[in-house]
Amino acid sequence: MNASVYIIPCIIIIVIVYSLIKRQKPYNDFVAGAADSISLVKGIYPYLIAIFFMVQIFRLSGLSELMSKAFSPILFIFGIPPELSELVLIRPFSGSGSLAILNEVYLLHGVDSYIGRCASVVMGSSETVFYVSAVYFSSLRGKGLVQGIAISLLANNIGAGIGCLLCRVM
Amino acid sequence: MNIIFCLIIVLSTGILIFTKPDTVLQVISDSSLDCAKFLFTMIGVYAVWLGIMKIVENSGLSAKLAKALNPVIKFLFGEISDETKGYISLNMSSNILGLGNAATPMGIKAINSMNTNNCINKNMIMLMVLNSTGLQILPTTVISLRQTLGSSSPADIILPSLIATAISTVIAVLLCKLFVKDSSPRMGIPQ
Repeated sequence: MNASVYIIPCIIIIVIVYSLIKRQKPYNDFVAGAADSISLVKGIYPYLIAIFFMVQIFRLSGLSELMSKAFSPILFIFGIPPELSELVLIRPFSGSGSLAILNEVYLLHGVDSYIGRCASVVMGSSETVFYVSAVYFSSLRGKGLVQGIAISLLANNIGAGIGCLLCRVM
Repeated sequence: MNIIFCLIIVLSTGILIFTKPDTVLQVISDSSLDCAKFLFTMIGVYAVWLGIMKIVENSGLSAKLAKALNPVIKFLFGEISDETKGYISLNMSSNILGLGNAATPMGIKAINSMNTNNCINKNMIMLMVLNSTGLQILPTTVISLRQTLGSSSPADIILPSLIATAISTVIAVLLCKLFVKDSSPRMGIPQ
């Protein structure tokens, strides 16, 4: 935990000092790089709004709860406890949404309980698959999108299942 | 994506009509505001990381990194241009260090530099899959949330998480190598 706090400051110092040694102009480079930000975000913005809207209506309508009940037998196959089905369901769509659910799981079952630790592993070992795919493939077309999402979801769930088993023994 | 989007929106809205129809308007304003806030944060955060990464690029540090990661990149992606290699190596190292906000802009730049005909090819899928299996050394967000809620040992989930994410990454790479093919017209096999 403590070591991770030093990663970013160290990177910044190394990068700038190295650039100076190589007789570059860090300030000019920084400004030139930063200029790309608005066009980058502009490109992904419509996809993000779709995901935000979808996730929020999904949760507020109660559909996510209904669906996670239906999904818990599938989770059982992967070895993930059924208490985590809503977390597993929302995790691929939204980082902030799944963080809120993780918080609820912690409060309900306890941070250091088996369920709590499993939830930590599910959250910490996976990514927001749909968000990543929307952002990366925003300007592209083709069938690959579905393949990529399917592979990522399958791999993440197998990983999470093994992580949950590890929580029993570690 | 179209099917998922339509299914979720129609079903959710359908439920809300019978339970609390006024919520729909609230969701529209709330989610768009949340998204706008998020986007403005991202414009700022991405700008800083893109700036830092430009320094890395121009000082030749990213080329060195790409050289060091070359065996891995070559195995995963095959032959690609030096520019793409640089972006991919920055993307991968940022992900491993847990700097998601630095990884995303580099990933998008890598995708753009691989884009020739606006079609998704297998290297793009490989990159997307690597980014969605969440390979990182320290799940910092999770650990700090555990700490805030008074966990007796907030960091004891590091090892299981690391093993889980390593396994999912390996599985994803294998599945990609096995099943994802470029649909090129040269192959005479009909789909």
